[in-house]
Amino acid sequence: MIDWNDLWLFALPALVCWTLASLLSLRGKWQGLVYVSAIGGLIIFGAYIALMWISLGHPPLRTMGETRLWYSFFLPLVGLITYARWHYRWILLFSTMLSTVFVCVNLFKPEIHSRTLMPALQSPWFAPHVIVYMFAYATTGAATLMALWQLLRKQDHLTAIDNLTRVGLSFLTIGMLFGALWAKEAWGTYWSWDPKETWAAGTWLCYLIYMHLRSSRPRSIRSALLWLLVCFVCLQMCWWGINYLPSAQGMSAHTYN
Amino acid sequence: MKKTWGMTEGAIVCCGIVAGGMLLQLLAGPVQWDAMAWPLNVVVLAMMLVGMTLMHLCRGRVRLFRWMATLQAGIPAMLTCAMLTILMGVTRQTPSGHVPTDPIGITSMLSFWPFVLSYVWLMLLVGMVCLTRLGHPSWRNLLFLVNHLGIFIALVCGTLGNADMQRLFMTVEEGTTEWRAVDSRHRVHELPVAIELHDFAIIESPTMPVYASDVTVYTKKGLVVRDTIKVNKPLAVRGWKIYQYSYDEAKGKESRISVFELVRDPWLPYVYLGIFMMLAGAVLNWLVRR
Repeated sequence: MIDWNDLWLFALPALVCWTLASLLSLRGKWQGLVYVSAIGGLIIFGAYIALMWISLGHPPLRTMGETRLWYSFFLPLVGLITYARWHYRWILLFSTMLSTVFVCVNLFKPEIHSRTLMPALQSPWFAPHVIVYMFAYATTGAATLMALWQLLRKQDHLTAIDNLTRVGLSFLTIGMLFGALWAKEAWGTYWSWDPKETWAAGTWLCYLIYMHLRSSRPRSIRSALLWLLVCFVCLQMCWWGINYLPSAQGMSAHTYN
Repeated sequence: MKKTWGMTEGAIVCCGIVAGGMLLQLLAGPVQWDAMAWPLNVVVLAMMLVGMTLMHLCRGRVRLFRWMATLQAGIPAMLTCAMLTILMGVTRQTPSGHVPTDPIGITSMLSFWPFVLSYVWLMLLVGMVCLTRLGHPSWRNLLFLVNHLGIFIALVCGTLGNADMQRLFMTVEEGTTEWRAVDSRHRVHELPVAIELHDFAIIESPTMPVYASDVTVYTKKGLVVRDTIKVNKPLAVRGWKIYQYSYDEAKGKESRISVFELVRDPWLPYVYLGIFMMLAGAVLNWLVRR
């Protein structure tokens, strides 16, 4: 039987593997080892989740700590797939850092392991919905930073910005639709226009405009990049801003954090 | 005069749509979505599809129709929808079915004519561009169509089908058959399905009690289904989903009645088709090389 006390036994080797893969990919050396190391980390961390699953007798999805395990696992996985697809040297470091944050929270804040999720969130949809959005936030965040860099320093990162935004938009779409499917199952309607959903729709449209603007006017780079900053502001509003928005107080099914 | 219309014309059309919507709002009041039930919604859908096809076929002669399938028309339409959606996000909305609390109508955005018309316009443009691409099959256009037809199907069917969704509650006594159910406003409906309750039971299991109704369901067309309905294990019969909803809580285990929730959402398969097309499109967008 395995429990939270054994987490570090698996998490530390996994983080070492992922960090090694990140550093190697950053230096552009030993491609084979990058994959071996990243996948090795996934197997180690996956084994911990599987063993927890067996010893709990149900999928580890009912407490905050348990869902955090899935974030720590899926962020490096999605990062690795994106790396295999585009060979961005820094993407593995990025996903490893995000994953490390969640591992650290689980290691150093053990008191929240047992805090159970509210019943509505105890669903197999919860983890995929959140993980997909986390990754969307990460990639669009990276795209925004590069856009700022390009606007200020006049260096050309446009291809990377476009690709990252496309990945981000894909994940925003998947996260939004997972949310709709989950809502249909749990509440009977797939879209109820609560403030979070309204902002998600608005943000999604803004990113769509960016993608269409890029193919319609490939030469108006500056205005497209400025628009990308607007998109990111909307995304922040959607992510955490609405918690402070007077019009959204007490209106949202999404305010449980 | 310019050969084709551009983004400026797109913006002008969108301003016109918003202004026209405002006028409608003032003259006719908010959009009455309840009226959009069967058969009106199917008529509207048919008119929309026929109209789009006709416009598509006349695109050689009419510049406007040709322009409708371009990004120059689409981007201003998306921008208008985005701005109205964000306006909705910053204004406190009244619960659905209530009248707006402001003189303009933006506190009930879903029934605000400029909002509705802007989305209708955007969907028209999406539909038109899909028709254009349908004529040229290729891998690139397949990806394009999965994305664009997906949102078109999901949004159009979800909106038009909303008023057709029924959610009713039926109380059945053991040993009897019931075909009447009440909606959330306590109006009684006679249904094409009837439920005979043989037995209601609460089974104690190690983790939690299981509420179960042993029933036979009859449909008007002569279908007979015998099954057990439990919480989280609804029964699907002829477009109806029957959920275990409640029982006589005062009597607990000895309850002689069972309350079922019956849900019918005839447009759901199409909305799901659209959603799954969009999901496939999103995954392909992520992975396919351009």
